[in-house]
Amino acid sequence: MPQFFNKKLLLLLVSIIVLVALIGFSLREREELTWPEQFLKDTTGWVGNVFNKPVSGITGFVGDLKDLQHTYDENKKLKARLDEYVLLKTQVQDLKEENKDLRDNLKKEDDLRKYSPTQATVIGRNPDRWHEMLTINKGKRNGVEKNMAVITSNGLVGKVKSVTNFTASVQLLSSIDKANRVSAIVQGDDKAYGLIEGFDDKKNLLLMKRIPYDKKIKKNSLVITSGYGGIFPKGLLIGKVVDVKVDQYGLNQTAYIEPSTDFYDINNVMVVQREVDGEPKESVGEDEVK
Amino acid sequence: MKHFILSFIALVFFVFESIFAQLFAGDAFGDDKIVVPHFMMIFVFFLTMYGSRKMGMLYGAILGLTYDVVYTEILGIYMFLLPFLAYLISKCMKILQNNILIAVLTALFFTAILEVVVFQMNIILSFADMGFGEYMERRLLPTILLNLVFIIISCYPLKRIIEKLDLQGETD
Repeated sequence: MPQFFNKKLLLLLVSIIVLVALIGFSLREREELTWPEQFLKDTTGWVGNVFNKPVSGITGFVGDLKDLQHTYDENKKLKARLDEYVLLKTQVQDLKEENKDLRDNLKKEDDLRKYSPTQATVIGRNPDRWHEMLTINKGKRNGVEKNMAVITSNGLVGKVKSVTNFTASVQLLSSIDKANRVSAIVQGDDKAYGLIEGFDDKKNLLLMKRIPYDKKIKKNSLVITSGYGGIFPKGLLIGKVVDVKVDQYGLNQTAYIEPSTDFYDINNVMVVQREVDGEPKESVGEDEVK
Repeated sequence: MKHFILSFIALVFFVFESIFAQLFAGDAFGDDKIVVPHFMMIFVFFLTMYGSRKMGMLYGAILGLTYDVVYTEILGIYMFLLPFLAYLISKCMKILQNNILIAVLTALFFTAILEVVVFQMNIILSFADMGFGEYMERRLLPTILLNLVFIIISCYPLKRIIEKLDLQGETD
């Protein structure tokens, strides 16, 4: 029997080597998935799409019923805010026009804020909750490309990690990955630049690191994307500051940000394509952080 | 025909896991608990116990690879783990007596092992930053509970279906 045992041991060793090689292969920063991967993703994406329709119909109905219960209270609150909204809308309209005029005067066409959205539906989520990823039903055929920003009506949720012909995988801001960074601004009298990197999943807060230590950051100030990463448009809402801490060496500050979207309840998203082409330089907003 | 039925069940579980995660990702099970459905893996374990080892390992490898490609995008972890655990299960079932209670407990035990090994792999690859104590409390226990419920619901139908297909004939 020793011969038999050796064969199995050999098989085990070989498969461990294959395992390590495969992990190494997939950890590499890849421009595109290999075609078998794309094929598998498209096929399962199609099946997921078929299953998703009835399921989302039912959950949508249940959600509607729940909403109906709160309609009266909500209506009251919304009515109270309606006047405020009208005022704000006229102001925004006014500012927009002024902005356009000034831009015309300067003959400045480029705008980091401009983007064109593609609507998509979420058809799956990674069940192994280590890599927070969603699958959406739009792919290369619909103009989705790697690294595009993904937003909901509430704000930024993540970026496209990989794309096949008919589906795309979205990496959420909350997923723990060293390559998952977004250049951001804390709004206020004194703008502070920093990078969103990391997520405290116990408190559900995003971490915004590398903010210069001398910036005073007020709680509840809003955080938006800066557009300096070369990929994302400017001005997408990320969340608001709830806490600020000085990091261990006292050189930088870390802000804790409550995300404006609930990362666990995403059904419809928009993939946004920035209109100004970013150079493929990866030196993100650090230059701005003085 | 056998393969058709088995792959259909596997596909349903595969997609159902993702839909489950999508529906109950939030705070459905308490504020900071994370539950991970391992339905597909449980199917592979039952296939090994009531079908044959060869089939279990084959389906484990194919389903594991699909899982890696589609969901985690880190190739190899599940593809390697599922056939390996299926092999260990078949060894275990030779020692243990074959009744349904033992089968349920074995499937649960191996689900827990799978979850812990994947956790360790993610620590090594630095996709996770949790201490083991925190992990036990927030992830492992809720996950085991969820999968126990699923095993109890599905064990009898799965046993019936797999035994009906009569895979024992083509064992090792």
